[in-house]
Amino acid sequence: MSAFEHGLSLDQDVLNTLAREACERIAPTWPLDRMIAVNPLWERRDQPWATVAEQLHRRAGSGLTLTATDYRAAWEEARIAERHLQQALAETSLAWTPEQLLQLLHESPSNSQRLPLLEDMAEAEISLPGWPALITQQIGQCCAAWFDENQADWRPDAQHGLYQSWRSAMVQDRGLSVLSACSALSERIAQLPLEPHAAIQTAVQHLGLAEDELAEWFDCLLLRSLGWASWCAYLRWQARLQAGDDPILMELLAIRAAWEWLVDDRRRDADSRWSAWRLAWQAARSAPPSPGWQALQVWQRAEELAWQEQLQGLLCQPPAAQACGTPAARVYFCIDVRSEVMRRAIEQVSPQVQTCGFAGFFGLPIAYTPLGTQTTRPQLPGLLAAQLTATDSTGDATRDLRLANQRQTRLQRAGRWQLFERLPASTFTLVEALGVGYAGALLGRVGGLFSHPAAPDRMALRPHEWQQLKPTLPVLELEQRVSVAARILRAMGLTQAFPPLVLLLGHGSQSANNPQAAGLDCGACCGQSGEINARLLADLLNDADVRCLLRGQGIHLPADCRVLAGLHNTSTDEIQVFDNTALPAALQPSWLTLRQALDDAGAIARRERSSLLGLAHLSEKPAKLLNSLRQRATDWAQTRPEWGLAGNAGFIAAPRSRTLGQNLQGRVFLHDYDWRQDADGQVLELIMTAPMVVAHWINLQYLTSTTDNLRFGSGNKVLHNVVGGCIGVFEGNGGDLRIGLAHQSLHNGKRWVHRPLRLTVIIDAPQSMIDHVIAEHSAVRDLVINGWLHLLRIDGDCVNRLERRTPEGWQSLGER
Amino acid sequence: MPFLLSQLSTLLPWLYLLALLPVAMSASNSPVARLWWPARIAGYLGFALVLLALLQATLDGRDNDRLGLAMASLISLLALVIIDFSQRYLEGEPGQRRYVLALLGTLAAVALVVTSRDLFVVVGAWITSSLCLHQLLTFYRDRPMAQVVAHKKFIASRLADICLMMATLLLVRAGGDSAITVILDEVAMRLQANATLGWDLQLAAVLLVLAVILKSAQLPVHGWLIQVMEAPTPVSALLHAGLVNLGGFVLLRFAPLLSAAPTAQTLLVVVGGGTAVLAGLVMMTRISIKVRLAWSTCAQMGLMLVECGLGLYELALVHLLAHSLYKAYAFLGAGETVAQVRRQALCDPRPALGLQQVLLALGLATLWVALLHGLWNMLLPAHSLPLMALVILAIGLAPWCLRLSGALHRLGMLTLLLGLYLLWHFAAAHVLGSSPAPSVLQHYLGLLALLLFVALYVFQGLIITRPNGALARRLYPLAFAGFYLDEHFTRLTFRLWPVRHAPSSVDATGDSQ
Repeated sequence: MSAFEHGLSLDQDVLNTLAREACERIAPTWPLDRMIAVNPLWERRDQPWATVAEQLHRRAGSGLTLTATDYRAAWEEARIAERHLQQALAETSLAWTPEQLLQLLHESPSNSQRLPLLEDMAEAEISLPGWPALITQQIGQCCAAWFDENQADWRPDAQHGLYQSWRSAMVQDRGLSVLSACSALSERIAQLPLEPHAAIQTAVQHLGLAEDELAEWFDCLLLRSLGWASWCAYLRWQARLQAGDDPILMELLAIRAAWEWLVDDRRRDADSRWSAWRLAWQAARSAPPSPGWQALQVWQRAEELAWQEQLQGLLCQPPAAQACGTPAARVYFCIDVRSEVMRRAIEQVSPQVQTCGFAGFFGLPIAYTPLGTQTTRPQLPGLLAAQLTATDSTGDATRDLRLANQRQTRLQRAGRWQLFERLPASTFTLVEALGVGYAGALLGRVGGLFSHPAAPDRMALRPHEWQQLKPTLPVLELEQRVSVAARILRAMGLTQAFPPLVLLLGHGSQSANNPQAAGLDCGACCGQSGEINARLLADLLNDADVRCLLRGQGIHLPADCRVLAGLHNTSTDEIQVFDNTALPAALQPSWLTLRQALDDAGAIARRERSSLLGLAHLSEKPAKLLNSLRQRATDWAQTRPEWGLAGNAGFIAAPRSRTLGQNLQGRVFLHDYDWRQDADGQVLELIMTAPMVVAHWINLQYLTSTTDNLRFGSGNKVLHNVVGGCIGVFEGNGGDLRIGLAHQSLHNGKRWVHRPLRLTVIIDAPQSMIDHVIAEHSAVRDLVINGWLHLLRIDGDCVNRLERRTPEGWQSLGER
Repeated sequence: MPFLLSQLSTLLPWLYLLALLPVAMSASNSPVARLWWPARIAGYLGFALVLLALLQATLDGRDNDRLGLAMASLISLLALVIIDFSQRYLEGEPGQRRYVLALLGTLAAVALVVTSRDLFVVVGAWITSSLCLHQLLTFYRDRPMAQVVAHKKFIASRLADICLMMATLLLVRAGGDSAITVILDEVAMRLQANATLGWDLQLAAVLLVLAVILKSAQLPVHGWLIQVMEAPTPVSALLHAGLVNLGGFVLLRFAPLLSAAPTAQTLLVVVGGGTAVLAGLVMMTRISIKVRLAWSTCAQMGLMLVECGLGLYELALVHLLAHSLYKAYAFLGAGETVAQVRRQALCDPRPALGLQQVLLALGLATLWVALLHGLWNMLLPAHSLPLMALVILAIGLAPWCLRLSGALHRLGMLTLLLGLYLLWHFAAAHVLGSSPAPSVLQHYLGLLALLLFVALYVFQGLIITRPNGALARRLYPLAFAGFYLDEHFTRLTFRLWPVRHAPSSVDATGDSQ
């Protein structure tokens, strides 16, 4: 067989299309300063979950389940029972018994390898690092240098593309052939094609790949550099939000493909490595998945069923009696699972306070520019593009101008240090003049004295200055403001029966020395604290003119109702409320009730969380516990400032009365929704296309980071090494860019704190309304029909019935 | 009683060793908190001990070992911080017992190096510290790159040990005793008698310097220092702040010997100066924070060795202490990088700089430094700074003279930094006592070093003002590749000591190196 036979018959257009399709399969990763959760498999959602699981297992050796040991432990702890296994088996075509499933867990894990590439076969003369590691490292360094904007002071030539930059680096390189002990390498490098498309074509032709193998081969290549591929996909995502495109991922694919061509020793005889690779590749492609692997899929499904059963038990109680009378206040939380604990605690301590759940960016499509600066950052979900830009203001234009000028002067003063600190010839003097002073800084950190660097937003402002500042929206037409307000109020279901006080709570986390801090902040606000959005909306709703015109839209916001904004610190479970000093006397009793409830609830929430944080011994000492949590939030050695959204597994869109008083263990996103007030289904459409998708992204980020931390997670935090200032992290020296969550964010050293379960979405709405959204939106359809989440509905009339949406239609879940 | 107290700082190593005992005897499955308590107590006690010793040294007017005390203060502070940091940082990691043991072992050995005045003990402790550190560097045994790097370091260190042991034999043979004071007395005697050291002591000095070069990660044997990011952050902090500079300390101990050894001096200035310049340039190209910090250490150690070679021992001591503290903080706080970038983003971008501005700034800074130094000279004539130090100062402070905006603030900062620098210099002179005047050779070596640093300034000026100029473009691939100095050493390591690997473990970690 000639190696070039297939290649020559390949059409360039077909090749390009296949390569482009492979690139489209990669989901983006956001930079560290806006680290929001992403489903790394988002671009594969048009295929069934099981298919993708098998693909990943085959192509990358990557699993979407825990290991056999973990499921054995779950079985022993009775987390999973025999009935769940039976139910899970019933959904498959496997003719196994639960005993056999258990038996399969005890068998030694099958040694199924991922699809081999030629680089795995072509041995360098030295045992380590070996070609795969060497290639990943080389590409990683090259991409980091190319994409970096904040770390290095001296960067590669950016005039030509990424591929060109890589190619010229390769041509000039003198180290690789030494390291790999491959003398022919430089000869082959000199023949590298000049264009990325040509590189892909050359590699495909020379390696003799057939058209039907290409999709798989390209995917294997990209999965080997998934971190940088995801970064390229992020640039593409951003370009597409601005209605453009960025095809740089194709160049990364070309680099990967070119490497396969470089490691080829050009021999084609029967003993050659190429022949060995072809055999191994074909064999691995056609091998069926092992029983052990299939068993793990069933076990995972069984654990999901066990969780759904638990949820069903909680939900199918008769709705709790609503507290009678008008409530003193209503608090709107973000749907974030961390809110569930706090909401339950508030309702427990004060029946006069109602709580609701809504997306934490409060529906404001904004970006934010801090006063006196030119930098702008988004404050809305990564799925959307900002439409408005908010900034800070004291309410007085001249004072704003003065503050902006003062701030810029101080920033410039601080900026003068930059060159002194960075230039190599200056660092010697810097160290000799200032180094000894770091003794104080070190001792201060140990004693917890100077552990409070100003939040970046407040930099170069004195406390009394930023306290005067409030976020403000740009000047908008009154009609526009009213329409924004009306749209948000309708989505919140807040159009009648207004309580005296409405509190909009954003949330933010607090941690020190944590490159992934943004990952703990509000995902709906693009990895920032939700403070700005909450304050902006409160201002908008308190505006008398807006209220006046809202009446014309049928929303009667009474004059004696005040909207407040606050911030829930998820590290310490403290709640801060802004601008509460000017409340009229009539509202004071309500305010006092609310404040008391927030404080008491905070203590309860902290106690509930204490054991997971290893502070169980303080659970009965509220003051000490709070103190210890505050210290933790500013501790520079703390790798687990809080557990974030670990444990998330459910999403419920229903009136709170469905879940009131039930302990959902901080595992469920709660969105308030009453279909009776949503005649045209618009609110449901919004919920299923935005908050539900965001929750799914979070859920899948946690799931994939848990099941395959090597590919979809960012490894060990104690080895994290920030790349490019804020692009991402390396684990250790280099290698591929790491995406997703660190091991420490999912595992407490003894067990997984997060259980990888696909999101169970429960919606309280009629079948027809839900089906309408599914029919209208392909993304939602993909998620539901392809099993990326489980969609259930509560029957509005018959409380103890749940129905599940399957590809075939609605199916009763069985009564309990 | 004063006699007893003057021994206080020498108790430091035994304190860490004592804390090691309960950890070593604890069962391997004992709770983690129980492992850390002895270490934490030792950390605090050690710091308190050194404070007491410092108090004693100020009260007791006798000529005690100020250098050893200064170093012991540094080590005890690092120990306190790193133990405190590690305990919470490693929460939940397996193998903490091994970590605590190796950490306390390393600390005890380092403390012994700096407090002992017996050459055999110093050398033995130095080798032990390197062996204990090896355990920390390979804390993650399943990471092949961690193994590779540890092997590299192991080979470099053992080479250094051979040099060190040969030097020790020569020194002890010449001095007739292993006490460092006795050896130095012999050096002084020989110099008085016939103004030269003799071949044996010259050779000993060269061997000592070779060992120091190997242990201070100078080019081209620097690779291991750059790549130790495969171990937890506090291990990097300990290595960069507490171990890599021990070579500098040993040179300070043997300052009188070094002052009379021209070959050793030349070696130090050439290797150190070259490293400072090249590593400084490489540092500008690094794209990850920890690796940037590592190259910075490499360059800083280079300058420290240059200062030793030129007989500027006070400056070398300041550099050693200051760099340790700075680097420990920088490593432990490396996670703040993202917050720093966010802060920097708030500043408005500035217009690009021109080369004339860069050169003019150097002129202005030189003028200002000369002026202030003149003033300093009038006040304290005994503490004047040599030309080389002044030029490095002017080069370092030049960025403050780059623009006119905020001239007052710039000038103020410049003066403040200069004042601090002179203050530390003054303090270090107090610690070290008088040092011999530089020789003629050292003057010429000083000129060489001066040229190197001016060249570095001009290079960096060209790179930041003309990032797309021919020089910046041609030099970039070289600098990004670390001038290809490490590849051959790596390959040699693989040849000498291949890392065994199971295919499955490579499969599992191949992408994470």
